[in-house]
Amino acid sequence: MKYVEPTSLSEALEILAGDDEARCLAGGATLVAMLNADLVEPSTLIGLRRIDELAGITATGDQLRIGAMTTHAQIAVDGRLTGNAAVVRDAARQIAHPAIRNMGTIGGAICHADPNADFPGALVAANAVLVAAGQSGTRQIPADEFFLDYLETSLEEDEILSAVMLPVEPSGAGARHLKFSRTHGDYATVSISLVLVLDAGACSYARVAVGSVGPTPLHLTEVDEILTGSDLAGETIRQAGRKLMEAADPVDDVRGSAEYRRMIIPGLLQRAVDELREVG
Amino acid sequence: MSANMADNMQVNPIIGASVPRIEGPEKASGRAIYTDDITRPGMLHAALLGSHYAHARILSVDTSAARALPGVKAVLVGTDLPHNYIGMFIKDQLPLARDKVRYSGEPVAAVAAIDVQTARRALRLIEIEYEELEPVTDIEEALKPGATVIHEQRDEYPTMYELPREPNAICFTEFMEGDPSSAWDQCDVIVEDEYQVPAQYHMYMEPSSTVAEMDGNGKVTVWTSTQGVARSQMYTALAMGLPMSKVRVIAPRIGGGFGGKCEFTNQPITALLAQATGRPVKLTFSREDDMTMMKRRHGGRIYMKTGATKDGTLVARDCRIVLDGGAYADESPEVSPVAAFFSQGPYRIPNMRVEAWSVYTNLSRASAFRGFGNPQATFASESQLDDLAEQLGMDPVELRLANALEQDDKFFCGKTIEKATMKACLEKVRDASDWAGKRLHGTPARPGKKRGIGVAGMSHISGLAGAGANVLLNEDGSVTLNCGAVDIGQGSDTIFTQIVAAALALDMDQVNFAAPDTDSSPYQFQTSASRNTYVIGNAVKKAGDDVREQIYRHAGEILECNSADLELRQGGVVGVKGVPDAALPFAAIAGRALWQEGGPIMGTHNWLYTPQDRMDPKRMLLRGFALMPDAIGIFTFGAQVAEVEVDEVTGQVEVLEYWAAHDVGKAINKASVEGQIEGGIVQMLGYALTEEMLWDNGRMINPTMMDYKIPGMADAPYKIHSLLIEEAEESAPYGAKGVGEICAVGPAPAIANAIKNAVGARVNQIPATPERVLKAMQSADDAD
Ligand SMILES: Cc1cc2nc3c(=O)[nH]c(=O)nc-3n(C[C@H](O)[C@H](O)[C@H](O)COP(=O)(O)OP(=O)(O)OC[C@H]3O[C@@H](n4cnc5c(N)ncnc54)[C@H](O)[C@@H]3O)c2cc1C
Repeated sequence: MKYVEPTSLSEALEILAGDDEARCLAGGATLVAMLNADLVEPSTLIGLRRIDELAGITATGDQLRIGAMTTHAQIAVDGRLTGNAAVVRDAARQIAHPAIRNMGTIGGAICHADPNADFPGALVAANAVLVAAGQSGTRQIPADEFFLDYLETSLEEDEILSAVMLPVEPSGAGARHLKFSRTHGDYATVSISLVLVLDAGACSYARVAVGSVGPTPLHLTEVDEILTGSDLAGETIRQAGRKLMEAADPVDDVRGSAEYRRMIIPGLLQRAVDELREVG
Repeated sequence: MSANMADNMQVNPIIGASVPRIEGPEKASGRAIYTDDITRPGMLHAALLGSHYAHARILSVDTSAARALPGVKAVLVGTDLPHNYIGMFIKDQLPLARDKVRYSGEPVAAVAAIDVQTARRALRLIEIEYEELEPVTDIEEALKPGATVIHEQRDEYPTMYELPREPNAICFTEFMEGDPSSAWDQCDVIVEDEYQVPAQYHMYMEPSSTVAEMDGNGKVTVWTSTQGVARSQMYTALAMGLPMSKVRVIAPRIGGGFGGKCEFTNQPITALLAQATGRPVKLTFSREDDMTMMKRRHGGRIYMKTGATKDGTLVARDCRIVLDGGAYADESPEVSPVAAFFSQGPYRIPNMRVEAWSVYTNLSRASAFRGFGNPQATFASESQLDDLAEQLGMDPVELRLANALEQDDKFFCGKTIEKATMKACLEKVRDASDWAGKRLHGTPARPGKKRGIGVAGMSHISGLAGAGANVLLNEDGSVTLNCGAVDIGQGSDTIFTQIVAAALALDMDQVNFAAPDTDSSPYQFQTSASRNTYVIGNAVKKAGDDVREQIYRHAGEILECNSADLELRQGGVVGVKGVPDAALPFAAIAGRALWQEGGPIMGTHNWLYTPQDRMDPKRMLLRGFALMPDAIGIFTFGAQVAEVEVDEVTGQVEVLEYWAAHDVGKAINKASVEGQIEGGIVQMLGYALTEEMLWDNGRMINPTMMDYKIPGMADAPYKIHSLLIEEAEESAPYGAKGVGEICAVGPAPAIANAIKNAVGARVNQIPATPERVLKAMQSADDAD
């Protein structure tokens, strides 16, 4: 196995295009474990850490650009991720343990597309757009369309995820990523990512995604619509929760049965709303 | 007053001091040497192939492709090895499966190669043809007539006890006292239930690891992560067909054991690879290999029925314990009897019958694990006491106090209680936790949570098997202690150093603790059964006393006085009482002994716990105990209280605060004792709430730390109050007895009882996962 560290995105894309068996290495938190377990045997590892275009967070007008190589730890402490974008920051802060947050990157997390991970749901709730770079240019993919299936994304084999774009709008939004897991630092049994705009108790904007209850984040426009324009009374949230519960398609695994995961969605949604209201 | 007690009156202040660990600097700086850190010239690396199937006959094995892989130096399968069965009470296993595999993960082939990658690659080239058999995974099914038989040749294995008739039974134990069948008539309240406990993985930080090397004379040296060098020596010799005199075992630093590194792990196969290749071989398991190939706690089912009179006096108990022993017996023939023994709990129950089984299944091997059967039985017993208290309208602590064993009471089967401290433990934990206040008025919970508090009482033993110790006086007056005891992280090296320092009034750095090595250490059982401080500590202290006596004899001759007029002065000086100037450094005495008079000073002692009274076979029915329960040591007692919050949406339980009162006799090192108690509680918090090895049709589905969850720092209670009761045990060194296991006995029932108090729902199956708790809450609601 070869290891290379290109210093520009175009160089990296060229190597990737020229070798079917090449693979990008971001933080390595997942990929190195997979290598150790003999689950993957790439011919070349393309280390992305020297590529400046993939690093750091920048504010560009109505958007925040998070480079793919930004670590969970960097995202967790960046004060610019407020309002709508705060759901991503709230998710980053709850991923695993400090060691993983220091190594793992948002790009790696998204490209791995583990449905039990925290970012996918948070990015859907934040209405994020993912930027895929290829040799012929870049594509902008809404988060809702990026995650296709368990460990499967709409990224092409010769593309590299370069950035995550987070809209600053809607203004006045509050956000919460509620993670429920077996132990501190475990993957979520169920997670709720929620963005709301509240005007004197009434909800003028809502976007909810549920993680760990299907192969991709669960997002129903219908549910956003039930909440939007309501005063978020208990019955409204129960109705929204029931819709999500019915649409959820979780699996039975060591973190809980499918039945159990479905059962707790409405209660967790209520809790996420309560917690968001509390912090304002 | 015994000599021991007289000594205790003027104990050196090092006893009871929280002195730092003697190996602390090297561990804190990352320089401690564990087995996997050891490299030998020309060393090869090994890997084992685990069976894919839980139960299958091996039809053929083709290793030619693996052997042909460049870098591979040896490939061994079962038929390449001598046909030497090993095991503790029944010799029923081979280092590599031969005709049949009995659990998924069972080692079927071993490779030694120039590096681990090559060894692993070679494993994938081994072709084995299996004939799949029905896996037996349920303990009750395994006992039924006509069940698929796991060990067809069971009755031909060498055993140390009487095998039951049922072909899949490992052992059967029955105790009876009083007249349990008619006693139910005297009961006003009877509770009856069934409990289920999980298989728990030891999760020591350091996976099993061994380096073995054979010298030109055919003697094998083994460096290994073990709980006892002599045990590893014995099994390695047995498997190789060598006398123990041809096997030397050395223990470097050990990263935890908890019972999983008792007896043997991967020493025999590593030594066999070293023999086959003529080169040193290292075998370190990955976590997944360790979880699938090594050992675990017995899961099982417990049926229990208990009756009491209106005033809360316990009258009768009936109990049936069925434990899943896994594919090979290991310590099972002693684990289920210990579970049976402790099914009484620390209470008087005059009429009692218990039967306990260990059963072969096609799951991984069950073995010793902190508490050794006691946590399983106590989960049932303490859960049941709370249900009884509820029906009687009594406070759970009051019910326990009313029935607690007292001085000169006899335990189940007639063994006398040496020091009855159960009531003291209950009172201490009750008062410290503000039990009455919390229980009566409740403490407000955070939003969306319900809060509760629960108690558990417990007893255990300390004192199994013999030990020896040598203390050698060096020429400069410092000493070397050699007792062969393995410190698996619990701190016994420091404890023994403190004991010798106290016996000779030396400073800690004047005592050298010699690493355990079968070539030089006194023979020794292993670090298990809460025995190190009490048993080995006795040998160590008396060996130190022996050196002091010899120093006094020399000093008396030099200073022309009686031994009785001599005293030790701190730092290695002997002097005449009341005469500050009359003093001799130990170095002067060592010199005299070496050059002029008597020869070098060596203190030595060997020690074995001897029961005060033997069990009375007329008093009770007792059968099926591989070791007599009266010989396993003195009793210890404890009581614990847990305060929890239960999440109303998810059913998740959080343990907020914990109180643990333990009679430790005397804390030789207070920080170490507290560390043991805290560690035992947090480990068993996992047992109570999250840890459970799971199999699907015999294949383990969670053999990783990602899927099998132990509690981390953030899951531990924010405060664990260790409350020590120090009533010196006369037969113990400075009064100290073991605490390593008893602290792990109480958490599961204390937490389950707190859950019941919080949400009114009884969880009979642990771990009390959020899902199980939520379902219990829903059925409790439905019942209302
Ligand atoms: C113990 C542990 C606990 C964890 N707990 C959680 C948790 O609670 N919640 C959670 O959400 N996650 C969790 N994770 C996952 C963690 O967030 C990982 O960091 C993340 O999944 C992978 O990020 P990485 O940067 O390490 O990627 P890598 O491991 O380097 O790569 C992952 C995959 O993405 C590909 N890739 C990486 N970057 C790019 C790119 N820019 N373009 C295209 N492909 C790319 C790689 O080729 C590889 O296939 C945990 C991981 C571990 C090891």
